Amino acid sequence: MTATGLIGMKKNQHVVVKLILLVCIGLSIGCVHVNAWERGNLAKSQMELDPHPLQSEIQSHNYSSREAAPSHKSSAGGGGCGCY
Amino acid sequence: MPQRPGSDHQFKDPEVQSVKPRNTTLQALTSAALVLPGLLITPGHAAGTDRINFQYSRYQEGERNLYGAPNNLKPISADVLHGSGIFSLTDRTKISFGYTQDTWSGATPVTTTPLATNGGNRPYTVNGVVVGASPILNSTILLDRDLNPIGTDPLTKQSTGVVDTRSVLVMSSASPETRRQANFGLSHERNESAVNVGGGFSRERDYQSSFGNMGGRLDFNQKLTSVKFGGGYTHSQVGAILDGDSSPYITKTAYTQQIVNRGGSEILRGNRQDWIANVGITQVLSKNALIDANIGYTHSNGFLENPYKAMSVIFIDPANLNKSSITGDVRALIEQRPNIRNQVALNAKYIHYINPFNAALHLGYRLSVDDWGVNTHTFDASWVQPVGSGWTLTPRIRYYSQDSASFYQPYLFSQQAFRRQETDSLGRQIWFHEKNPAIQYFGIDQFNLVDQNGNPVDGFQVNAQPKTTSFDAGKLPDNFSSDHRLAGFGALSGGVVLSKILGKGVALETGFEYYTRASSMQIGNGGNNSFADFDYYVANAAVRFDIEPTTSLPMGGSGGSSESHRHASSHYHHKIPPAGIMFGHMLDKPGDFMAGYRFMYNWTGGNMMHGTHKASDQAIIDQGCGNGSCQFTPTFMDMRMHMVDLMYAPTKWFNVMLMPTFMDMDMNLRQLAGAKIDTSGAHGHHGAAGHETGAIGDTYFSSLIKLLNVPGHRVHANLGFSAPTGKVDIEVRRTHKEDGGLIHFGMQLGSGTWDFTPSLTYFGEKSRWSWGTQLSGVKRMEDQNKSGYRLGDLFQATTWGGYDLTHWLTASVRGVYTWQDAIQRDFNKFSARIGPMDFPANYGGQFWDIGLGLNARIPGGRFAGNRFGFEWIQPVKSDFNGFQLDRHGALSATWSYRF
Repeated sequence: MTATGLIGMKKNQHVVVKLILLVCIGLSIGCVHVNAWERGNLAKSQMELDPHPLQSEIQSHNYSSREAAPSHKSSAGGGGCGCY
Repeated sequence: MPQRPGSDHQFKDPEVQSVKPRNTTLQALTSAALVLPGLLITPGHAAGTDRINFQYSRYQEGERNLYGAPNNLKPISADVLHGSGIFSLTDRTKISFGYTQDTWSGATPVTTTPLATNGGNRPYTVNGVVVGASPILNSTILLDRDLNPIGTDPLTKQSTGVVDTRSVLVMSSASPETRRQANFGLSHERNESAVNVGGGFSRERDYQSSFGNMGGRLDFNQKLTSVKFGGGYTHSQVGAILDGDSSPYITKTAYTQQIVNRGGSEILRGNRQDWIANVGITQVLSKNALIDANIGYTHSNGFLENPYKAMSVIFIDPANLNKSSITGDVRALIEQRPNIRNQVALNAKYIHYINPFNAALHLGYRLSVDDWGVNTHTFDASWVQPVGSGWTLTPRIRYYSQDSASFYQPYLFSQQAFRRQETDSLGRQIWFHEKNPAIQYFGIDQFNLVDQNGNPVDGFQVNAQPKTTSFDAGKLPDNFSSDHRLAGFGALSGGVVLSKILGKGVALETGFEYYTRASSMQIGNGGNNSFADFDYYVANAAVRFDIEPTTSLPMGGSGGSSESHRHASSHYHHKIPPAGIMFGHMLDKPGDFMAGYRFMYNWTGGNMMHGTHKASDQAIIDQGCGNGSCQFTPTFMDMRMHMVDLMYAPTKWFNVMLMPTFMDMDMNLRQLAGAKIDTSGAHGHHGAAGHETGAIGDTYFSSLIKLLNVPGHRVHANLGFSAPTGKVDIEVRRTHKEDGGLIHFGMQLGSGTWDFTPSLTYFGEKSRWSWGTQLSGVKRMEDQNKSGYRLGDLFQATTWGGYDLTHWLTASVRGVYTWQDAIQRDFNKFSARIGPMDFPANYGGQFWDIGLGLNARIPGGRFAGNRFGFEWIQPVKSDFNGFQLDRHGALSATWSYRF
């Protein structure tokens, strides 16, 4: 790892820590109790975290073959070389 | 979290989606209670019903900007076939599998050079007309005193005398290549937690990886909060087959230890490992909103390069530095990336229910940072809008920006000579004996050499070689890459997904996305690499089958599952013919729907045959290639067909069928013993690289008409057609300054013509016995396809007998006779024509086969009603037209399910 890389990484880690804090704060103030009978909307298919998994799989495969960000597929693995 | 591609999408009944905002408390309660176990469950977790998905996707890139050089290469395109399924093993345990196959081909950048070199994309002419450009990796460039490139004309490569600092991608084309990936997963759901494990492998000719992962989920706070965690490991082996055309011009000194020679090809070997860990949280914020956030860490080490990308280094002899114009020596070096990479990614997603529209807004942000300097930001938004009658429309937009890797450069300067003639202390050039480098000579050329004692030597007689020193790699940066994926840029994309639930457990989905990359769209500073800008679009279509359709009815009350079992079993009294028979049975009940999948594998290899006998190499050379002589012959060819069967019964005597297909093939060639090799066009065929094709094949549709239906005897006719959706103009890449032309007839993916495919089937059964016979044919309805030829017509007669081993398993034996005509007419475009497979007369013949099959119908339990069939077709006798590869056999495997 180069020296500049290290500095860059540290700076970035700083940003990450701030963001995590922000998310935690957001969660702690944002949560309200939602009773089981109030979850009708949350249960709808359009409210799923990934409403179209077949689509997101294709999208992330294309993005990861054209962009340098870590694979969107996170820990699933696979994906091949993408050496084109 | 570990995702298993598309395996477990919540497949909601239309009634859930059409719940109006005027929900009564009762409705809300019921629906919430029914779907609660699935709430907050991320993709990859066992939930919902068992399901099978098929999807086809097409990726098409736009042309790259070559600044005036002719661009005759087809841009990259990829055809992707995906199938996946998830099945319950117990109430809480599910198993999933997935298979993905992609075939890509087209032009890809090998390196980046200044536009001002005399190489790059160098135009070539045919009959005096410029028709294309060849990638020239090593070239020279004129520089001014400040090392600014002095431009050249893109066509003539003559100097313009004006400074031109633009860069250009050097494009090279590739013949089709195929990747296959299989993966599986197992998940177990508990009341407030879940665990899952998964794994799989991905195979390409030049890259193989295996992966495994595991993860889990814990629910808290009455499932308002879920914590997810996961980890994975991937091991990859690189065996890059260096392009025989460009390899001699690429400097590989950094990888000498890793390159081996196999079968005439240079293979660059390496290993790579990736470890991934992540943890995340999903939190319900209100009855209309939730948030999902996770952080992931990826550590990669080993061979992280793209072995097909080279860096252009402009070597400048320091002695020339002060001249008014300097000639730079441009050389392509395989890129060098660090051997370690650490990446951290943070994802956040906010989902809000928009009550007035019954829609959901999804907002996402992703930040990733790494020690290569590539920091990225991704923003995306989508609006999921159910629009009634089972339709859902989802527009989506995404913006992405990345910083350049610290070692990315379009090209490099190095102030040293690429290769320098060594001189002794007296300033004389040093030469050496060709066979013994220890013997040295001195002098300015081969005419004027002296040995160590000062005696004159005939430089030609000893074949004296100049002693040179290569550049000092230590003076280059440790790492460098000109792969534009490591450059700084931004990308904007948008698209739409449309899905429709048909009822009866079948849903269709289609998606489209357009993507445009621009260096100027990078956040902060424009990336200054607009020469690498491009765009692409992706279109896909998917069909999803819910194989326990009635269990997810939210308002339907109890008994869904048992109803589905009764529903399933009530139909299955009729036996079905062996798996290799198409159009062999009908649905009996109006409104019935059947979905199925058919896989056919055809294996040829071994000897080359002529008529009924083995052909010698010399006979093939002399007679196999028309008036010319053959140079190559196939050693094997595999053909695989994936077919989705959809069948519907509007009435009990009339059924309709639709069968899209996906084909893929691979073939290897060998040089014929005693062949005279014409070097043009042929070299790409041997060595480690064979060739592969794969994409959508022809699409079949047909109507089945019941002619007779008395107890024990049934007769039906099929009037079918096939539409020419498979390509017949696939080309082999240009090599050795020669176009490859159209690939062999047998490697094209379809017939290219509209075909009539009639058949007549009789089926009888009595107690445990069943029997039948079928006559079928294919009649081409056009004289020629767009490549100028048409496949031969076909006739087939088959008869079989079956015996029920148990009430759910049937064994069958069948005899098949097939006649197929040779190919008619010929290619109307250039084809290299190097072997018998390139000549129309070497197709078709008469064939006799025996089929051994098993049909199973799962009689009860969770998978009741699923049918599976296997049949092996063993060739008995063949009478080939012309010269063809011998047949080894064929396998048919089917799955079907009636709704």
